[in-house]
Amino acid sequence: METITLSQPSFATQLRALFTIAKKDWKVFWRYPLNAVSHVLQPIIWVTPVYFMGKAFSTNGQALGFAQYSGTSDYMSYVLLGTALSNFILTVFWGMGFALKEDMDAGVLESNWLTPVSRIHILVGRTLTSLLTTTITSIIMLVLAAALFGFRPTGNIIAAVLTAIPMLVGLYGFGFAFAGIVLMMREANTMVDVSSFLVQGFSGANFPVKSLPYWLIPVSLMLPLTYGFDAVRGWLLKTNTLLPLNAEVTILVIFMFVMLWFGSWIFHRVERKVRRLGTLGQH
Amino acid sequence: MEATLSPQSLGRPGFISDLRAFWAIVRREWTIFKRYPSWIIALFIWPLIFPMMYILTARALSGIDGSGLAVFTKTTGASNFIGYIVVGTTVWMWQNIVLWDVGFALRNEQMRGTLESNWLSPTWRFSYLLGHTGPQLITMTMFILITALEFGLFFGVRFNGSPWLALLVMLVSVPAIYGLGFAFASIVITAKEAHTFVFLVRGLVMIFCGITFPVSLLPGWMQTIATWMPQTYMIHGMRAAAFANASFADLWPDLRALLLFGVFWLTLGYLLFRWMERRARRTGAIGQY
Repeated sequence: METITLSQPSFATQLRALFTIAKKDWKVFWRYPLNAVSHVLQPIIWVTPVYFMGKAFSTNGQALGFAQYSGTSDYMSYVLLGTALSNFILTVFWGMGFALKEDMDAGVLESNWLTPVSRIHILVGRTLTSLLTTTITSIIMLVLAAALFGFRPTGNIIAAVLTAIPMLVGLYGFGFAFAGIVLMMREANTMVDVSSFLVQGFSGANFPVKSLPYWLIPVSLMLPLTYGFDAVRGWLLKTNTLLPLNAEVTILVIFMFVMLWFGSWIFHRVERKVRRLGTLGQH
Repeated sequence: MEATLSPQSLGRPGFISDLRAFWAIVRREWTIFKRYPSWIIALFIWPLIFPMMYILTARALSGIDGSGLAVFTKTTGASNFIGYIVVGTTVWMWQNIVLWDVGFALRNEQMRGTLESNWLSPTWRFSYLLGHTGPQLITMTMFILITALEFGLFFGVRFNGSPWLALLVMLVSVPAIYGLGFAFASIVITAKEAHTFVFLVRGLVMIFCGITFPVSLLPGWMQTIATWMPQTYMIHGMRAAAFANASFADLWPDLRALLLFGVFWLTLGYLLFRWMERRARRTGAIGQY
């Protein structure tokens, strides 16, 4: 009698698994419609103090001090673009680690791990729905914010989107590594909150990094996200960039390949260790 | 010989037993707090990094030559924008933490499945909420002290007024801040899934109370809403006491408003708790989640 395994993983089955995970997350997301409203309103609430604070620094609606660093006095477009990009960073960078923590708490991580699906695919699958919902909610947020505060992108939208792609793909690498850390530490909240705040802050989500104190600028320049924020703004708002735009895009493409390799290497190592220790089911 | 037993309830509630119950809850909450060291780390890091993001944005708005800062000083009357922002963001963080800690105190018990059994014990039920408030006040005091220390050390923020009057403003704010937390706890236990309510309340504070800007910059209708929120007076009073060398007489309008809000929110918090308690007993909803 011929022996066969019950599972026969193939490209098609992996795709089906990805689709199933995304479909499940889509169902869960719309099960709580207030969450969707919150996704749209939260970023607007967070930038409102910046809007009025900017007014306190402006003369006749022009933030001239801000223009000295950034090359634009339209600080709200600058901040809103940073906020929209931050939404995506949160989704990819931290989303996978959070998803694992959710599965741990719900007690389904171990059983998911036993399925014949690549674990990296499980992680990627958990971001698909959130990427789609983030796109929808960010567009609505920008439309609302444009009406409330003004949002005036005047540059090349296609170049900006093409620049954001290697940044986001590279962030998947970060996300894999972070998911590994969550598997090991079994705690995500404080780590995510603190590190996302710091990474977004120092990479210039809300302000030009040139305005940082001189001793913090090297930290900022070491973060690839800094060049992502800077280049997307350079294309869309025609702001002064740290490096020529082509150089920043090249950095982002290199970052993408290095991080994908490094992140998945870290994840596989940690995952093997956790399996050996038998702590996968603990939380 | 036959022993006679007079019928009596096993629990004999009294002031002392209520006090003991309150103290037991305080000790339990303190033990849980200490059990997760990541919160202690957050106690040192959050006071620094949350205001820092607004401070760094303000630094960028100031400009290389400080022209933006000159406009800010003229608009707000404050020469130190760091201290100005730290006061506003600290008040926001205080209210936010109270909403999560005190506001979710009963809900967390409900989720753990211990609320119903606690409810059956012969204690004054409001002590469950008060018990949560004790360690919360201690950690918040530490939080505010650490904030003052960190910004004094790393950013050179100095009091230009009376620290005692700033402390008085904070003390007078306690009833309003925690009264809101009590009211919230009762609503949360009734509405169950209530994260959105926290986002709403803290969002209102963020938008209307001038955490990083003077309320006078808001449009008229927004200023009207701001006058109905205690956090507006708290932020205004603390800034005036700490940095503008305000006297007690200068602060009195803020203090009076805070006292009135305190009476209102504590009363409402207690009444909502009593309503929730009766409703829960009638509908049996206390054990559901």
